[in-house]
Amino acid sequence: MTTAVDDELWSAIGDPTRRRMLDLMLHGDGTATTLSEQLPVTRQAVAKHLGVLDRVGLVQATAAGREKRYRIDQAQFARAVAQLNDVGRTWDARLGRIKQISEAIASRRTTGG
Amino acid sequence: MEYASIDREIHIDAPPEVVFEVISTPEHVREWWSVSTDFEPAPGSTSELVWADGDNPRAHVEQLSVVVTDPPRVFSFRWTNPPGESAVEGNSNLVTFELEPAGTGTLLRFSETGFRERGWEAAAIEERYLSHSEGWDRFVPIIKTYAERLEAA
Repeated sequence: MTTAVDDELWSAIGDPTRRRMLDLMLHGDGTATTLSEQLPVTRQAVAKHLGVLDRVGLVQATAAGREKRYRIDQAQFARAVAQLNDVGRTWDARLGRIKQISEAIASRRTTGG
Repeated sequence: MEYASIDREIHIDAPPEVVFEVISTPEHVREWWSVSTDFEPAPGSTSELVWADGDNPRAHVEQLSVVVTDPPRVFSFRWTNPPGESAVEGNSNLVTFELEPAGTGTLLRFSETGFRERGWEAAAIEERYLSHSEGWDRFVPIIKTYAERLEAA
């Protein structure tokens, strides 16, 4: 796995419209038409986003009549989520310590003066 | 343009003034981040973040630049820019803390952005290193892999 691929993967899930599309597809397959009906963007825009997701392997396309039908690639999706979670977890720990320290100071100031 | 980001919200049972002090003064940052640093809590102030490991007092070093200090509402800084380069969008991650009074406490909103431009490698390395901290045995192979990936890119 090269850095370039990881950057593209990160970039693909960095876009909020694409994240919403992934949310929708977690509940079932989608086409540009069905997804655009549930989003405030055009079918053409959705088709472009699907192209981005396809390139990084987050979705897989199958021919379905006039349109392509997309479904989430579970393995690649899990990988992307894990990457975000790893970084997020270190901040969870730091934020937990910020909370502890702040609350200790606040309680010292109210009780001890 | 949108970037991948980490976003968190946490309620803290302490007034915003106290929380602001904890997130923005080196004395406290050293404690919650387990790092040596000595920035001034003022926009433009820069410092290193230095992690020691065993005999090596500078096992891992990152750059930090304070961006916004608006007590007790906003504190933000950029970090992970290459040494010798000013921290700007594209070469560093932006960490922002926003504080809002909530009852007798504080709602702390955290975000870190910039991964899209920089990839996730720097943050992932830091995570691995800091969450394990077993020393050079572990750290060196990670650095090696990282360097190789950079070269291959």
